[in-house]
Amino acid sequence: MQTKILLDEEQIPKKWYNVQADLKTPLDPPLHPQTRKPIGPQDLSAIFPMELIRQEVTTDRYIDIPEEVRDVLRLWRPSPLYRAHRLEKFLKTPAKIYYKWEGVSPAGSHKTNTSVPQAYYNMKAGIERIATETGAGQWGSAMAFATMLYDLECTIYMVRSSYAQKPYRKSMMHVWGAECIPSPSIKTNSGRAMLEKDPDTPGSLGMAISEAVEDAAGHTNTNYALGSVLNHVCLHQTVIGLECREQLAMVDDYPDVVIGCVGGGSNFAGISFPFAGDKLTGKHKDVDIIGAEPASCPSLTKGLYTYDLADEAGYTPLLKMFTLGHDFVPPSMHAGGLRYHGDSPIVSRLVHDGIMRAVAYHQSEVFDAAQTFARTEGIIVAPETSHAVKSAIDEAIKCKKSGEAKTILFNCSGHGNFDMSAYDAFYAGQLVDYEYPDELIRESLARIPKIQ
Amino acid sequence: MKRIGLIVNPVAGMGGSVGLKGTDGNVEEARHRGAVPRAKDRAKIALALLAKSTDLAFVTCSGAMGEDIIKEAGITGYRIIYHYTGESSSADTKKAVRMFLKSGVDLVLFCGGDGTARDVFDVTGSDIPLLGIPAGVKMYSAVFAVDPASAADLVLAFDRQNLRDAEVLDVDEDAYRAGHLKTRLYGIARTPVLAGKIQVAKQVYEEPDEERAKAAIAQFMEEIMLPKTLYIIGAGTTTEAIARRLGIKKTLLGVDAIRDRRRVAADCDEKTLLSLADKYPDTRVIVSPIGAQGFILGRGNQQISAALIRKIGIKKLIVIATPHKLAQIPYLYIDSGDTVLDREIGDSIQIISGYRIAQRKKIHQ
Repeated sequence: MQTKILLDEEQIPKKWYNVQADLKTPLDPPLHPQTRKPIGPQDLSAIFPMELIRQEVTTDRYIDIPEEVRDVLRLWRPSPLYRAHRLEKFLKTPAKIYYKWEGVSPAGSHKTNTSVPQAYYNMKAGIERIATETGAGQWGSAMAFATMLYDLECTIYMVRSSYAQKPYRKSMMHVWGAECIPSPSIKTNSGRAMLEKDPDTPGSLGMAISEAVEDAAGHTNTNYALGSVLNHVCLHQTVIGLECREQLAMVDDYPDVVIGCVGGGSNFAGISFPFAGDKLTGKHKDVDIIGAEPASCPSLTKGLYTYDLADEAGYTPLLKMFTLGHDFVPPSMHAGGLRYHGDSPIVSRLVHDGIMRAVAYHQSEVFDAAQTFARTEGIIVAPETSHAVKSAIDEAIKCKKSGEAKTILFNCSGHGNFDMSAYDAFYAGQLVDYEYPDELIRESLARIPKIQ
Repeated sequence: MKRIGLIVNPVAGMGGSVGLKGTDGNVEEARHRGAVPRAKDRAKIALALLAKSTDLAFVTCSGAMGEDIIKEAGITGYRIIYHYTGESSSADTKKAVRMFLKSGVDLVLFCGGDGTARDVFDVTGSDIPLLGIPAGVKMYSAVFAVDPASAADLVLAFDRQNLRDAEVLDVDEDAYRAGHLKTRLYGIARTPVLAGKIQVAKQVYEEPDEERAKAAIAQFMEEIMLPKTLYIIGAGTTTEAIARRLGIKKTLLGVDAIRDRRRVAADCDEKTLLSLADKYPDTRVIVSPIGAQGFILGRGNQQISAALIRKIGIKKLIVIATPHKLAQIPYLYIDSGDTVLDREIGDSIQIISGYRIAQRKKIHQ
């Protein structure tokens, strides 16, 4: 009974897969926040290196992964694919459950898959410093690790509620030589404005993005880096799904269901885009692709598919995506990495077109699922990842009821070793099941900038 | 040094053990049936936990209304400022609390039930905070600690900056003994919150300060209020904050109706509300849970009857509460008098708890 399905180091993908090549019609372009006209490369060049801008817009199906980047990826890639025999037995399901374990990276999550190439391209472009934001701290620690590799300075604006909840994430960033600042901060104009409006704000990813973008735009030696949402970030994460497809082929299998948790959408994109490509090109028309999001911030299930700003202050381009409104400040639930008002434009498009679908869960039910996973498979997952675990368990239980032996694949995107206070709150019965009052709220979405 | 006024209702809770459903006006009958006082033991648990504190100065009453228990608990820092004779009464409670206030207490700690809470509140109002050590037959008011030990924790952590609103309910004793629970909102007191809980709250709550939470809820309600729609607004301070935001006066303990930012009716009874709902087909109801148990319908808001909810439709019921209130109550309750309606509402309900933020809360079945 094989549990781990492993690839050799040489089988680390040599190319990223770009699902934009297989979309029936091109993505709606990002718009300039002032002119509302499509942005060009020059609009982004103040904060991104040209190669990442090219990757953002290209419709080439495959993009070469630089050998220097593959050399770093060898530290943890190819990541193992596990067959969850013990979870299957516990659930008494005929389904086969596989999970891709991304917690083996130095920073403990999938985020290093893109932080390394992003730092690499910035280094190649002569950039000396990176400004970025982080929600739960996983992206911040991944970027701290990557900038250290290429001798870049790094300033990280960490969402204030997570900064307080997860002090050891901040410590990791310090170990790798980065500066970590709670956001909103007094270091930027946007941060000062937000603090003036609400001195006790828990912060949000949207606010932290504004601060990091402002920092990057104001320093010529500094670029900005984003850990999710953007096309090039999703592109870099496709190593996850590409490896999974190879690993499943080794055991002569292919998923009926592919699951990831969704905040900005990068880990979900990473595991699902290669399979979405198979669906779009008709190779596997029936694969069911599910994004699991928090009920407190349910952009895919309750948001509007429209143009909205990617940040709070309005520095970023307008993106066509599912959104709850850029001024929405999600409640401070424990899955801080999923507290984002919008979603990746590509994920949004694929959900909108019915290639993927989304489900939303409350906090306490995902921790209950995470506990089941820890007590069967042993791994204590991050609160974000527990949404994917919950969805996988739900699908396996459906199989139990229907008698179908489906193959379920989910992305186990990161460990929860710095999230034990959240588990403590779960055991103390203190988790609040936040949700989004969507029926009452439709009028308030009217404030999203109207794009004809 | 925190100055605490301690008052014990020696006969509180006696009626419960002998099936009297309340002790007020029934002390002799309770004794006759073999009831023994329990308030003393309950108070002693809390006071024993306070005995070591050097930060507390007590004022209290003579004999069984305080002195006996405070001595037995080993507390030495106290003064007797009210003396009573014979059987203690509701009038004694009120007189004693008046003396406490004159002596400048920061908090009135009482041991009793809903009747005692009303008597204490009659004097303190919302100016001086009160806290109940639970010992009565009925404790529907939200001023009670969960148990005597928790009451001690709250006293030790007491800080005038960490207070919350707490409804004091008036239970109709005669109806209650006849098997019917009739309550009305009697007043809104201030009661301490554990500072530790507020610290945890900073991590998981959307808004650490209750007044700011009310303002955030009111801001959201203003944003979603539709023109030409009648809003029936229930009792309490959370709902009052909506009216305040709209610049409208609101009956704190009653039910008002608002339409297009104007109050169209104040302190309405059920009949008035039904006729308003007839007149305005698009009517919505905004209520906040009332009392220690967190009743959405059926306690303190009885004017908002099952007939009214049926007329407007369940989906038009909007429930709001601060995270602080919700943290005090594990479940919500509905007892509209129409069990079919209660079940139709389901086993959980969405509660608006902040600006564009809600919580899913279980309803006790």
